[in-house]
Amino acid sequence: MQFEGYDPANNPLNTNEWAFPVCEVLHIVGFAMLIGTITIVDLRLLGVGMKRQSAADLVKDTAPWTLFGLVLVLISGPLIFSSDPNLYMHNQSFRFKITMLILAIIFNWTLHRKVAMSPNPGSMGAVVGGISMLMWASIIFAGIFIAFV
Amino acid sequence: MDLQAFMESLQAMGFATSIRESSLAYPIILSLHLTGMGLFGGMIAMTDLRILGLAMTKRPMADVHNQLRPYKHLGLTLVVLCGLTLAWSKAAIYWPNPFFKMKLACLGLVALHALVFRGPVYKSLGEMDKFGKSTTVAKFAAIISLFLWISLVGAGRWIGYWEAPQPTF
Repeated sequence: MQFEGYDPANNPLNTNEWAFPVCEVLHIVGFAMLIGTITIVDLRLLGVGMKRQSAADLVKDTAPWTLFGLVLVLISGPLIFSSDPNLYMHNQSFRFKITMLILAIIFNWTLHRKVAMSPNPGSMGAVVGGISMLMWASIIFAGIFIAFV
Repeated sequence: MDLQAFMESLQAMGFATSIRESSLAYPIILSLHLTGMGLFGGMIAMTDLRILGLAMTKRPMADVHNQLRPYKHLGLTLVVLCGLTLAWSKAAIYWPNPFFKMKLACLGLVALHALVFRGPVYKSLGEMDKFGKSTTVAKFAAIISLFLWISLVGAGRWIGYWEAPQPTF
């Protein structure tokens, strides 16, 4: 896949000294809110912490900020991508990251949420919580490795 | 001994050189540094946002703070250890960078924030819960905390964009 007829040289992200790093900071703040709030639920599902309330309560408590984080990364991410689409499209680490991101988003708002909202998540909760933490961590790793592969 | 020479000698140590020159060690430690922020940076924000009345308002402030505390400490330890290792491995390269010094200054302010506000704010959240709202000082501490955390991320990112002046002959 090639982005023909699009010259990123005129993209403000490449002409303005501040635009790119500002997007990166928003991306980091965004994923910290997104993943941090999901981890709060995961710790409860794993049974290691946050035991003063149920996983269902924690999902409801954190949901608006999880969504806030998701919105921030889904705005800043495509902007960063637009600075050099052909470079990113051919980067193996980027491809892995996007695949995992799509899976993690679907997983979080379907199975993860369903199990967390159930009255007694039990051992199923622990499995889902563990998978969730590993998936999100792998996305951060893949994001960093874009610059190193 | 001047500081730059000291940084050179830190960076020249065996383990620092092997991290700097490894194509895997550096990005893996950097990923762990960011994973620490991802997992636990959001938790710092949640405590601050709770104090500001913007998140988890159904839970008492003391509950939110006390339950998240051990994980924030774990995360901070991971982030600081990885950060220190990365800084050590390129000490002489980072030291002249003004954004690196800015980041160190921010870290100093984080320590100061903890020292100043621990008693009047973070250990007093139970008292504030009794009145159902946080004090002005607590809100101030929460805003400063959020500001410092974003400043740390910003300074960290800008380290990578500063170019050392080239010597002119």
